[in-house]
Amino acid sequence: MNPSTQPANQPSTPSYTLTCRMSQEAAALERLCQVVRIRGFKIARMAVESAGEHLDIALTLEGTRPIAMLQAQLLKLHTVAEVVLDQGALARSLRA
Amino acid sequence: MNGAQHILDAFHRHGISTVFGYPGGCIMPLYDALVDDVGTEHVLCRHEQGCALAADGYARASGQLGVCIATSGPGATNLITGVANAHRDSIPMLVITGQVPSGLIGTDAFQETDVLGMTLGIVKHSYLVDSADELAAIMDEAIELAQSGRPGPVWVDIPKDVLLASAPARSCEPEAASAAKTASATTDISEAMTMLRSARKPLLYSGGGVSLAHAEDSFREFTQTAALPSVVTLKGIGNSGKHSAHHLGMLGMHGSRAANRAVDECDLLLVIGARLDDRATGKLDTFAPNARTIHIDADAAEINKLRSVDLALRGDLNGILQAMTTEFKSAPLAISDWQTQCRTWNTTGGFSAADNEEPLAPITGPAFVRQLSRIAPDDTVIACDVGQHQMWVAQHYQFDHPRHHLSSGGLGTMGFGLPAAIGAQFADRRSTVINVAGDGSFMMNAQELATIRRYNLPLKMIILDNQCLGMVRQQQELFYSNRESQINLDDNPDFVAMARAFDIPALHIERTDQIRRGIETILAYDGPMLLHVAIAREENVWPIVKPGASNREMIDETKKRTTTAQREHVA
Repeated sequence: MNPSTQPANQPSTPSYTLTCRMSQEAAALERLCQVVRIRGFKIARMAVESAGEHLDIALTLEGTRPIAMLQAQLLKLHTVAEVVLDQGALARSLRA
Repeated sequence: MNGAQHILDAFHRHGISTVFGYPGGCIMPLYDALVDDVGTEHVLCRHEQGCALAADGYARASGQLGVCIATSGPGATNLITGVANAHRDSIPMLVITGQVPSGLIGTDAFQETDVLGMTLGIVKHSYLVDSADELAAIMDEAIELAQSGRPGPVWVDIPKDVLLASAPARSCEPEAASAAKTASATTDISEAMTMLRSARKPLLYSGGGVSLAHAEDSFREFTQTAALPSVVTLKGIGNSGKHSAHHLGMLGMHGSRAANRAVDECDLLLVIGARLDDRATGKLDTFAPNARTIHIDADAAEINKLRSVDLALRGDLNGILQAMTTEFKSAPLAISDWQTQCRTWNTTGGFSAADNEEPLAPITGPAFVRQLSRIAPDDTVIACDVGQHQMWVAQHYQFDHPRHHLSSGGLGTMGFGLPAAIGAQFADRRSTVINVAGDGSFMMNAQELATIRRYNLPLKMIILDNQCLGMVRQQQELFYSNRESQINLDDNPDFVAMARAFDIPALHIERTDQIRRGIETILAYDGPMLLHVAIAREENVWPIVKPGASNREMIDETKKRTTTAQREHVA
């Protein structure tokens, strides 16, 4: 949709912040991003830090589907150790 | 030992005796090692898709891991449909591919493809092996992972130099595969029992998760004890056996009116090993609108994915079912009115196609399948392709065990049936295995006739030939104003001559009075045989729910119009 034709009162897409720890391995980030995309979310911001054998990833995501569904799908990945939703960011997003 | 020998060593340590593969450049070190190997039967299929689907069929029929092997590039890409098929249906599979040498990865080398990248969405996990030193451990982990929890395909991509490099023998025994043993807490089971006892119209809805969890016997005892009216998904067919008094058949798009009506009316849905797939539920908003839901599944991500549930139980399905069975034995449910109602619905709204007694009448798909069901031995394995014949088998064949019905559920892969039947025959060389195909599906992997001949597999092939893509034609007739588009297959080859070209005998039938003799002839033959069955082009699968519509809006065979819950026909 052309931005100029978008109704002014259309609600903004919910935004979430997830932190994720996963193993360093071939295609680790691709694997993570593939799940995010196919489960209906867009990556607005992504920061990655290597921590020994792990990667620590901070994701800001936008999407209309339940974030718990994405968390569950990410946790199914064999190399993902932890997925934490930043509740503070979620609350700020809901207030916005 | 080199990397290739480590792979074979892992096969031996994990009891893998049959693999399906096709050689080529980068996987040649493994094929060289196979020359000296004792204990691994390698089945040479004629296309890598055939390898993957045969491994899938082997796994479904046996309950064991299916293994397929291919080379890099086109070998790997040809596997993809079969691996996606296994992924969608949670089939335990190990996929091994050769890759170009490590130093050539990323140089657009001959037969290089980014297999790891292109398969991320269709595997449970995948590995690109860096070193022969880590290969044995990766093989152990991959084999365990493919079979544990919710099973699925695990892909191991191995550069050629890693296959050739030496590495010390594995010094420790692998850990045994661990099933999901984290049984739900007793309080959860107690809460489930409370919900079941307070319900007036509880309904059991089971799927492929029962056999994936190897819980067939526990489930059968549970259903017999609980006496709950039950429905199944396509992959759950056979869960309740063929003699269950309370079973209403398959639900969903081509489900029975009785099954869909019971779902519509129930006040509690007990979902076991099913993922509430759209082909089963129809429009979700109107699915089981009056029911509370208990969901038992191995996969936490399936809970609340499509329908919010009131109670979820996770863990070892055998343990959960046995605990609930004990509860039912001490205090049965008092739901006789509901049981009677469901039996009545089943009498008037079950799958029932009247057999045509006119001997010269053309053969119909349902009539043929019903005859086949009556004649074939009880433990026959039927491997279907995808289309109208698949639904006729699901509706009209009486299966006594879920591993007897091999059907591509999630992906709906035309061409599945023939290689899957090959896999099932290798799983048990003495069993009766029949591929029921449509003419469109059969042509998708017909090259595997050569595999059947090579290994002299006694499997039987039945082609229900309506000279078109019948399911597409049916939907074009019903939902696209009968505007037929690219469904005509009346230039099919002569299937009988085609089979004979592979040195496989074949028969053709086209009249009702030829059905019994045709079936008995192929079953009696001591070797592979094909039965070509001409059926009417215009035959449809009934009932049908329009994709995306509510299951209440089944389209009736005679009226060919949308009705509401088929109430006037089923009540």
